[in-house]
Amino acid sequence: MMLSRDGVSGFVCLAISVILLTQTFGLPPAAIVPIGPAFYPRVVLSILMLLSVILIALDFRAMRITAAPAAAPAAGLAPNYRLVLATFIEFGLYILVLPLLGFRIATFLFVLSLQVTLEWPRSAKHWALAVAIAAATSIVCYLIFQDYLSVLLPRGTWSNM
Amino acid sequence: MNHYELLLTHMGTVLHLQYLVPLLVGTIAGVIGGALPGVTITMTVIVVLPFTFGLDPLQGLAAMIGVYVGGSAGGSITASLIGIPGTPSAVATTFDGFPMTKKGEAGRSVWVGVWSAFIGGALGGLALIELTGPFASLALEFGPWEFFSLFVFALSMVAGLVGRSVTKGLLSGAIGLAVTIVGPDPILGVQRFTMGIHQLEGGFDFLPVLIGIFAFAQLMPDVEQIRSGEQQIAANAPRQISLKVSHMSVFWDILCRPFILLWCTFIGIVIGVLPAIGGSAANIMAYDQAKKFSKRPEKFGTGIPEGIMASESSNSANVAGSLMMIMAFGIPGDAVTAVMMGALTIHGIQPGPLFISQQPKIAYGIYAAYLLALPLMVAVIWIGSRAWMHIIMMPKSMLIPIVLVLCVIGAYALGNSMKDVYVLALFCVIGYAMVKARIPLAPLILGVVLGDQIEANLIQAVSTDANPWLFVTRPISGAMLAASILSIGLAVWQHRRETKRQAAAAADEEDTDF
Repeated sequence: MMLSRDGVSGFVCLAISVILLTQTFGLPPAAIVPIGPAFYPRVVLSILMLLSVILIALDFRAMRITAAPAAAPAAGLAPNYRLVLATFIEFGLYILVLPLLGFRIATFLFVLSLQVTLEWPRSAKHWALAVAIAAATSIVCYLIFQDYLSVLLPRGTWSNM
Repeated sequence: MNHYELLLTHMGTVLHLQYLVPLLVGTIAGVIGGALPGVTITMTVIVVLPFTFGLDPLQGLAAMIGVYVGGSAGGSITASLIGIPGTPSAVATTFDGFPMTKKGEAGRSVWVGVWSAFIGGALGGLALIELTGPFASLALEFGPWEFFSLFVFALSMVAGLVGRSVTKGLLSGAIGLAVTIVGPDPILGVQRFTMGIHQLEGGFDFLPVLIGIFAFAQLMPDVEQIRSGEQQIAANAPRQISLKVSHMSVFWDILCRPFILLWCTFIGIVIGVLPAIGGSAANIMAYDQAKKFSKRPEKFGTGIPEGIMASESSNSANVAGSLMMIMAFGIPGDAVTAVMMGALTIHGIQPGPLFISQQPKIAYGIYAAYLLALPLMVAVIWIGSRAWMHIIMMPKSMLIPIVLVLCVIGAYALGNSMKDVYVLALFCVIGYAMVKARIPLAPLILGVVLGDQIEANLIQAVSTDANPWLFVTRPISGAMLAASILSIGLAVWQHRRETKRQAAAAADEEDTDF
């Protein structure tokens, strides 16, 4: 028997609520008002813990009731998790290199690489389009935010731009 | 000056280019965002958000209201033309809009939707102007006990109504509240759960959390399907459809069915007032009601104007209801108004009962922008009618990187710091994990919005009078706490009934096999 996604979510939330709940005992007691800084977090985390336990219990009950083998996955479009993982990794890298390379370079590289990852350009024309979109996104956003909306976008410590 | 004189004055103000341009740009962005399948109004307003930081509050709000109104109608274009709702709030429009297009009446299908949205929105606007003041006056009578109970009621109702599982809805709301306990406590400023990370000492700002939760949660399901899904849309959809139609006949289609129009508009307003439920529920409920009251229910789903009218009028009126709730009580009616609330707080403006009296320029500016966004929405759809099929076909591979860059700018620009970008990244992961765990996002957002206020009102109430029974014995507070319990109980009962019904249906199917 394996836990379903409900059971897993329940255990994750339960673990987080228990860890945080134990931390509330290190908070100072009430000084000015009748309830201290630990009171409200304890209430919230207790509710979270209780709901996590209910979710886990419901999942176990559902597993007991469902004696029949799980139905085969519906014939249709299987989610492309490789693409999702690649998007997460590229987005993570973008955020990491943003303060190093600066907004313009990092954004150009991110937009270009993600476009290419999501749909591989099939011809030179498609490549040119992808590069143009990446360059336009980087430059137009920079100009609008930096010059018009007075938002100072990150400058790169490596590239100094 | 009376109510409507003030409104006319502020309409004149919003007609100045400095406000009209953001309103128009927002409306165009909204219609496009609403029309693009997979890009919701929430996502569009998040994309527009960073552009509003450098503007004055009313300019920024005008842009967001434009997005909201334009997006509500834009979703119906895709729903009618290719049978895929541009936004969740246009799901019911596909039921009759697409069959009408297949019958060769694409123009009628789109324009019945657009004009219904216009009329429903205008009636909703009337309710917004007339009812926000009385609601705010009612809210002024509230003490901390009533506000605490109201926020608890809002959260419990959303948790109970959204999604398939009441437990998961409540869990999502509790996660949202848990997000707000990180950082300093509201009285002594004692640091809580910062784990020694000094970037967490201010707690989590609401907007990076919201942007993060919605960014990956809404974009990644598209990424999962990107190769096959897009090809399917592209293969099925015609490249060019004529939207030419006699607008007089479309008006006649709508106005000769006044009951459906008024009743569905009313449903839209009520659903908009209820916290965080939004247009996705309003259009389905209105469609269901229109079908129940119709003399020809069997025709629904075959391409009749009543179905489109019901969905679009309620969907558009829902916007007015949501704005009413945020202006009178400071409770967002849905995720879009939650972003608006965040944008207001950046400018140091707190929506709530005192909003209209303390910020009349902005309050009446919101009314004016809302009313002016409706004709702008019609004009944008009219002028852009040749381009819609091309816009709908825009490849996701181009769109997604640009949207993600704007999300990063939106988070970064809040405090010109990478801290908010890291928060955004963290909540991107959490948002996608919640989607995969089928935990609804709306209660979490409401929890994050209301968490601090729930704690502050709780402390204020207990500090004023330590007797905890006052939460129950004060009539309004007690009634709302009772309503909270009732709404959760009702949701559990409905869920169980539905589960039993499905089990019985499955058993019947098995019997027929033998």
